[in-house]
Amino acid sequence: MQCAESVRVQAYFDGEVDAVSAVDIERHTGHCPECRTLLEDLLRTRARIRRDLDYGHAPPRLRERIARMLDQESAAGAPRAVPRVQPAWRAPLFWLGALGGIGAALAASLLFFVLSPVLSDPLLDTLVAAHVRSLMPAHLTDVVSTDQHTVKPWFAGHADVSPVVADFAPRGYRLVGGRADYFEHQRAAVVVYEHGAHVINVFTWVAGPRTFPDLTTRSGYHVAFWKVGNLQYCAVSDAGWEELLGLVRLLRDLGARDALQ
Amino acid sequence: MDDRRERFEAQVMPHLDAAHRFARWLSRSSGDAEDVVQEAFLRAFRGFDSLRGSDVKAWLLTIVRNCHATALRQQQRRAAVPLPEEHDEQFGSATIAAATPDPESASIGQDQQRTLDRLIAALPEEHREVLLLREMEDMSYREIAAVTQVPIGTVMSRLARARAALRVRWLQEAQGEPRAVR
Repeated sequence: MQCAESVRVQAYFDGEVDAVSAVDIERHTGHCPECRTLLEDLLRTRARIRRDLDYGHAPPRLRERIARMLDQESAAGAPRAVPRVQPAWRAPLFWLGALGGIGAALAASLLFFVLSPVLSDPLLDTLVAAHVRSLMPAHLTDVVSTDQHTVKPWFAGHADVSPVVADFAPRGYRLVGGRADYFEHQRAAVVVYEHGAHVINVFTWVAGPRTFPDLTTRSGYHVAFWKVGNLQYCAVSDAGWEELLGLVRLLRDLGARDALQ
Repeated sequence: MDDRRERFEAQVMPHLDAAHRFARWLSRSSGDAEDVVQEAFLRAFRGFDSLRGSDVKAWLLTIVRNCHATALRQQQRRAAVPLPEEHDEQFGSATIAAATPDPESASIGQDQQRTLDRLIAALPEEHREVLLLREMEDMSYREIAAVTQVPIGTVMSRLARARAALRVRWLQEAQGEPRAVR
C-alpha cells in the first residue's frame, strides 16, 4: 500500500540525501500523489510541533545546582558522590507556554498553511541569498538605528511597504536597522535584528497570490513565513528554530495589534 | 576558574536547555528531569576529557538518556518496596507557579500546546524520543542513532512510525473534539 519510495522521501524531507538523490526524489514526488501527500503531511507535522511545543528553558535553580556541583568537582578534583535529591515524581507533567502572547487570531491562522508548490520556490533561494549577502561586510543595513521611529519612516522613501518595526532588546532581539531590497517586482523592506551572535533578516513585501510554507530550511538557514493583512513577512536566520520563532511570535503579535488599530 | 572548567562551560553548558527538555520528556516529571540533568552534567564533566570531536549535543544527550535509564531502574527498585513516600505537594505547586506565563497568554495557543503534548506523550517512548530529537532538537539521523544507540535504519523507521502515529491521533482528535481544532 505504501509507496516504496516513502523512506527516501522522508530522508529527503529531513535533509539527509545528497543533491543527486534530491533531484531524483523531487522528480518522483512530482508524479506520485502518495509521496506528495506524505511530504505535505511531514511538513504539516513539523510545523505544528515546532510551533506548538514548548521549548522552554532550564529553570535557573537547575543552572545554579549544576554550577555549585561543578564548583565542588573542580575544587575536589577527585570523583565523589553527588547528593541525590528525592525525586519529586509526583510533580505533574505539564508544558506551559512561556513564550506566550499568541492571540486567538494568530492561533487560528496557524491552522492553515499550503505546502508543496513551494518546496523548490526560487524566491526561497532569493531570500536566503539576500540574507547571506547581508552578512557580508557593510551589506547589513542602509539605515542603522535601534530606534523604531527612525527605521520605520526610513522605509517610506525606500520601500513599497511599511512593516512593523520594534526594538525587542529586553526580549533578546535587538533592532539593528533596515535595508531595502528588490524582489517580487517591488521594493521590499528588510528589518534587521540581532539575537546573540545571530543576525535575523525580516523581509516584508506586499503579499501576492502565492503561498509559502510556514517553516522551511534552505541551505541550512531557517526560514519562517507569515502574513499579516496584505503583508507577507519572511524571517531568515541561522539562529535555532526556537530563537527565530521567538521573534516571529513577537512580530506577529505586534502586527496583529497594529492591524486592529 | 580552571581551563577545563572554562572549556566545559563554553562547550557543554549551552546545551543545558536541550538536555533539560529531553530529560523532561523522558522522565515525564520536572523534578526527576532536574535530577537526571544534574547527574548527567556531573558525568559529562568527569568524562569531559574523553569527548572527541564537536558533536557535544549528541554526546550530552546520550549521557542524559543513560542517566534517565539508571534513575528509572532505581525508581522501579524503590517502587518494589513501597516506602511512605513523602511526596511534596508544595514543590509541585511551586514548580507550576514558576512556569506559568503571563496570564493573558493563557490562550488557544496553550490549548494547542497541551493537545500536542498529550498526543506526543501517548507515543511509545522509543518513537517519541526519535521524533523529539529530530523535530525539536533538529538532530541528524546519525546523531539520533548515536543518542538512542540503534542503527540509522531503525531511526528512520521509528521516525516514520512516530510521525504517522502522530498524524493519525491528531486527525482523531480533530474529529472527536471539534473544539480542539477550532
